[in-house]
Parts: sequence; C-alpha cells; structure tokens
Amino acid sequence: MRSFVSVVLALFAVGAAAQQTVNMPIVIELSGAGAVSGTNFRDGAVLAIDEINAKGGILGRKIVAPQSDTQSNPGISRAQVQKAIDSDPYVILGPVFSGSVKVNMVLAQQAEVPQITGAEAAEITQMGNPYIFRTSFGQQMSMPKIANYIRDGLKAKTVAVLWVNNDFGKGGRDTFTKEMAARGIKVVADVPTESGQVDFAADVVKLKGANADAIFVYTNEEESARFLREARKQGVTKPLIGETTLLGQKVIDMAGDAANGARGHVGLSADAPVPAVLAWKQKFLKRFGYVPDHNGIKGYTGVYAVKYATGKIGKFDRKLLAKTLHGLTITPKQEPGILMETTWDAHGDIDRVSFLAEVVDGKQKIVQTLPKLGK
Amino acid sequence: MMKKLAILVAAVALIAAPFGLKPYGIYLLSLWAVMTIAAIGLNLTLGYAGQISLAQGSFVGIGAYIAALLTTQGWPLGLAFAAAIVLCFAIGWLLGYPALRVAHHYLAFVTLSFATLVFLVLRNEEWLTKGVYGISGIPRPTLAGWSTKAPLDFYFFCLLILALVAAAAGWMIRSPWGRAFTALRENPIRASSLGVDTRRYTLMAFAIGSALGGIAGVLYAPLVQFIEPTAFALGLSLNLLLMVIVGGAGRFFGPFLGAAVSVLLPEWLRFSEGLYLMLYAVFVMLLLAFCPSGLLGLGARARKSWKPSSKSAN
Repeated sequence: MRSFVSVVLALFAVGAAAQQTVNMPIVIELSGAGAVSGTNFRDGAVLAIDEINAKGGILGRKIVAPQSDTQSNPGISRAQVQKAIDSDPYVILGPVFSGSVKVNMVLAQQAEVPQITGAEAAEITQMGNPYIFRTSFGQQMSMPKIANYIRDGLKAKTVAVLWVNNDFGKGGRDTFTKEMAARGIKVVADVPTESGQVDFAADVVKLKGANADAIFVYTNEEESARFLREARKQGVTKPLIGETTLLGQKVIDMAGDAANGARGHVGLSADAPVPAVLAWKQKFLKRFGYVPDHNGIKGYTGVYAVKYATGKIGKFDRKLLAKTLHGLTITPKQEPGILMETTWDAHGDIDRVSFLAEVVDGKQKIVQTLPKLGK
Repeated sequence: MMKKLAILVAAVALIAAPFGLKPYGIYLLSLWAVMTIAAIGLNLTLGYAGQISLAQGSFVGIGAYIAALLTTQGWPLGLAFAAAIVLCFAIGWLLGYPALRVAHHYLAFVTLSFATLVFLVLRNEEWLTKGVYGISGIPRPTLAGWSTKAPLDFYFFCLLILALVAAAAGWMIRSPWGRAFTALRENPIRASSLGVDTRRYTLMAFAIGSALGGIAGVLYAPLVQFIEPTAFALGLSLNLLLMVIVGGAGRFFGPFLGAAVSVLLPEWLRFSEGLYLMLYAVFVMLLLAFCPSGLLGLGARARKSWKPSSKSAN
C-alpha cells in the first residue's frame, strides 16, 4: 500500500513538473512582405529556446513558444497578439514590421506583458510604453551613426536618398534627412520607391542626374537587391551607402556581384568580428541550412535577455521583468547567449557596439567597430 | 417560416457566441460583422445590380479615415457615420458614371484605378492622413452612457449596426429599387424598354454600395484602433469581392457566409501551422471550381437535387 501511495505521489510530481512551463508566444511575419525578416527572427528565437530547454529551461521551467503568422498585415497581427495575450504569456516575441507593432503594442501594454520586438521605426519607443523592448537599434540611434560616417568617412558634401515608401522607409528617411541637415550636408535628390517595386531604372537615372557625392539607400531586402542590380547595370560610380539592410546577407545573395562595393553601417551582423557571433552563425547554418541575417540575432538574443533578466529576478513576474530590463546591461560573461554586451535604456531602446562594413567578393566585411553610444 | 426560424436561430447564436469566447475570438467576430457590412454593400452593387467594383476596400478606407480623423479630435462617432455616408454616397455616385459607358472587365479596371488613387491620396497627403505613419489611439465610442471600450461591448455595437444595415438592405432588395437593380443585371436593354431609368439605378447601385462600405470603415477604425493606408489597398477590395462571390453573389445571406469564410476560416485552419494559407486557397479554388454560385448556391443545388426525388415518390 505504501509503495502504491508513493507511486501515485511520484506520478503527481511528474505531472506537476510537466505543467511547469513558461509561455512565450512568437507572433511574427511568416508570410507576405515581411516573411524574410520574420522567418529569420523566428528561427533565431527557436534556436535559443531549444538550447535553453535542453539545459533545463528558465528557473527550471521549459519554454513553450507557439508561433502565429501575422501575414505581414497589421490587422491580423492585432488578432494574433490578442490570441497570445489570452493564453496568459510571460512575454511576447515579435513582430518585426513596425506598422504591426504599432497596432498591437497597445494591447500588450494594457495586459502588462513585455513585448520583445524586432521593429526599428523611431517612434515605437517614444510613445511612453513601458512594456516594449527592442532587439536592435531604432532609427534614431542608427541614423546619427551613418550620418557621421558620411561626413567623416566619405567627406561628402551632398547626398541623394532613395527610400521605400512605407513606415519603415519613411521613418528612416525623415530621421536621416534631419541628421544630414544637422551636419550641413545637402540632400540633392529625394527619391521615394514602392514596397515590392521591381523596376528601378527610372530611379537610378534620377539619382545619376543628381550627381551627389554619395547615395543613401534605405529599402527592404528584396528591393535593395533589385536596386543594386540596376545601379550596377547603369554604371553608377558614386558610393552606395546603406543601413544594415543593404549589407544584409539576404540582399547580397539576391544581388550577386552587384552588391560588391556597397558599404555603410550595420547595427547587427552575423559577420561581426566577434567570436561568439561567428560561432552562432555556424550553429544557425547547421540547424536551418541557410545563412542568417541580423533578424536571426534579434530573435536569439531577445530570448536570452528574457532568460537572464528572469534569472536575476528569481521568479516569473511580468511587471518586474519589464522594470528589470529597463537600464539593464547584459555582458556575454554573465550570459553567453547575449553574444555582445547590450544595454536597454528607460524607453526600451538598445545600445551596443555596431559596425561599419563593406561588401567584398559577395561577403560582408567589417571595416570598423563603432563603440557603444553610452561610452 | 423555415427561413424566419433560421434567421432567429442565427441571431440568437450571434448574441450568445461571444460569451464563451476570449477577447481574440470576440475581436474576430467583430471583424466579421464589419466585413459583412462592407460585403453587403458590394453585394448590392455587384450581386444585384451586376456592376463589378474593385474599389469597395477604398470606401472602407475613406470611412475609416473619416472616423479616425474626427474621433481623435473629440468629435462623436455619430458625426463620422453621417459624414462617411454622405461622402461615400457622393463619391460612389461619381464613380458610377464610368459604369454608364463601360461594363464588365473594363469597369473593373476603372474601379481598380480609383482604388489605387485612393491609396495614393491616403499615403501621400500627409497633412491630412499622416501618411504611412498611420493614425493611432482611435477611441471607441460611448453611446448614451454605454461605453463600448471592452471587446464584448464593441462587438454588440458592431452587431447592432450590422442588424440595422441588414434590415435596410433587406427592405431595399424587396422594394421596387431592388427589382430594378436585378432587372439592370439581367438585361439592361429590356429594363430600359420597360421604363426603368437604368442610368439613375446604375449610379444609385454604386452610391448605396459605397455608402455601406463607408459605414463598415467607420466601425473598422475604432475596432483596430490604428489605421494606415496599406490596410485599404487593393488587397482588401479583392478580399471583399471574394467574400461576395464565395458566399453567393446576388443572394441576401451570401455576404454573411462569405465574410465568415474569409475572416474565420483562415483562423480555424491555423492548426495546420505553415500550411494554413495553402489549405484556405485550395478550399476557395475547389469551391469556385465546383460551385461558381458560392456557398448558398451549393445549398440551393443540394435542395434541388432532393426535391425531384421527393416528387417522383409522389
């Protein structure tokens, strides 16, 4: 009889242990215009979650991460974040598209659920939402860096801007133009393009006509690749400058030789001269069979940030997690999964080292490492 | 009698449905109600009057922007309803003029151009619409002390408007206007020879359908509480067209079913994870290949195939 009771008790214990999980839904772009970024982010997060679970989870609890596709559509992302909130999550991972984040971050805020996003539009962290956290630079952080590079590195006096007319492109263009004005550099051509645009011939003609010292290109992945091909075809000789996306691995793969010579600033790079990042890239490649871009790092480090902060608190408390992440600095020594030392400020914005890079022989080559802003 | 009973059962089900649901389910039901209103409008234009339109999503957009701009400035939602109905009616009337000269796919292209035009205005006229940044913080209305801020309250508000719109549309279809619309679709020359003013009814079909699109937009803005131009690009118009055709064009309850297929089915199919959009596409293809008259057409066919056998038994 006693053995029977102990077996029953043991079974209960096993059952209780199995129920001890922590819910971290991934709401992300898996189809539509954002699928490239979203899939990278998702795979990065899944890689981190599997590693953490293999080592026993967070505070002994395994992570459960149901995925839902936003179809890159803000209205659907709202429904999916609502669904995630209904399941009583600890944090929400995603989305990447700024428009979607703007729709659903209010819901997460009302439910007091920390949201770890891959979005970069400047205004997301400027709305006073204490539950939103970035995993990469916002445009208000990255544009001053690229502006300094254009002024000091290229010594350009005039610049032409080509941008994609969605909230990501427009936000970047507006911030960039402001930074140029502050440095006395004249914007001589301002060329908006469409999301999903295929033919860039007329735009390249316009840029050539402007004859600026440098051309700044700020579009999503596929458009960047198409633009680079057209610019090569028309023999553009002026330096083509980009911010993260233009130098991303996906763009290089799609643009082929035409990507060579493109340079600029990368906030995050799978080719960063940091051993931990390079080792991570190999791990990712082995698991998923493709070379990740910066969005993969966003998903991966986002999960590890949650793990570290939770370990620091010692319990699962969403409000306390948000509070702890504000002003927190995580070093790779404390948590190897963070890959590079990272600081979150009071708005949920991120600070860490970034890089100047150039595309050489179909590969992104880091030319210089820029220090953290706070240093 | 059977029909009335079915309507009663459906109404009770719609009122009872949200009580077993979490906010996510209630949000989807509200979205269904809003899309049904827009589809009822398109069903009048396309299903009854036979005028194809790829611009219904644009009218939803116009309504949504009117609601967003007015209510974020502190004006009541009732004013937005009035403004959207008047403006969409007028624009719809104007859009009807090309329909007097062209038909079928030519008309589709005219309305397609209009849809693109509206998208460009919403995106580029930043002083008014805030462009690609969109408008956020759209409040939900309070009606005579009843705050619709909570998901459940807002769902009942949407359902109320849907009931009013459905009643008005049902009345209109049975009225001489509805018969004139059908005459226009079936044979415009004969309709004209019988004294139906085809010109006026064509314009009217566009104007009324568009006004209903505007009403749906006025509800869409406070439902999502954030709007931006891409939500009202061609994709929405095509989706509304799909709703009308999948449900059964020219049938009163077609838009209700069509909107359910378009809004709810992809969500139900999510259990298949990466495959859900493919399954949805296959379903729509099979349905339209085997039953071009939509879900309600399928029902009618099933009934027909039953009836002869019962007759032969007699």
